[in-house]
Amino acid sequence: MLVLTRRANQSIMIGSDVVVTVLEVRGDQVRIGIDAPRSISVHREEVFRELEAANRAAASPASGALEDLAALRPPPKP
Amino acid sequence: MTGPATVEPELPELHFASGLPGFPDARRFVLVRLGDEASPFSVLRSLDDGTDLEFVVTHPALFFPDYEPEIDDDVAGRLELESADDALLLVIVTVADPVAASTANLLGPIVVNRHTRAAAQAVLGNSGYATREALVPT
Repeated sequence: MLVLTRRANQSIMIGSDVVVTVLEVRGDQVRIGIDAPRSISVHREEVFRELEAANRAAASPASGALEDLAALRPPPKP
Repeated sequence: MTGPATVEPELPELHFASGLPGFPDARRFVLVRLGDEASPFSVLRSLDDGTDLEFVVTHPALFFPDYEPEIDDDVAGRLELESADDALLLVIVTVADPVAASTANLLGPIVVNRHTRAAAQAVLGNSGYATREALVPT
């Protein structure tokens, strides 16, 4: 891991298209701003990992399961 | 291969500029109905070469009538959404055995710009939603 030290309002470039800026340091929290092109998603890491795992678990279900699922209906509204 | 499918006429091809978490290179998808016209499910099928990647999705309002996620400014900007009406929401289904135990990812809905068909998987931070919410109450 590359480790850099920054003050508030200082920035870091990742490649030529991503700019990470320290906006504010307050207590044990740091507000960080990220400028990135649309081709690069930006997420809090723990949430990204959760989505990644969920997407992988959901990807490409077996065709037999799909046939069964197609018959499932939402519960009737009360 | 899945069973007989009908291409949904309203959304021929969706473009995910940054793919999806876990699948960063999967950019182009098509939405295909799963089952007959009464089926609440569709398949989001990758068009990119060398992959059989697909996800089952559903319109969240069908199973979760109270689900009204707030789309944050970053997602709205990326997808050029000018109002909530521009957005179509889909949620990814994790198919379980038995299928009645299947779940939907309400933490990471797919947001689509109806007009441009730009799409992204959003994250509803601090919402309390889970990646696996039961479709049918048990």
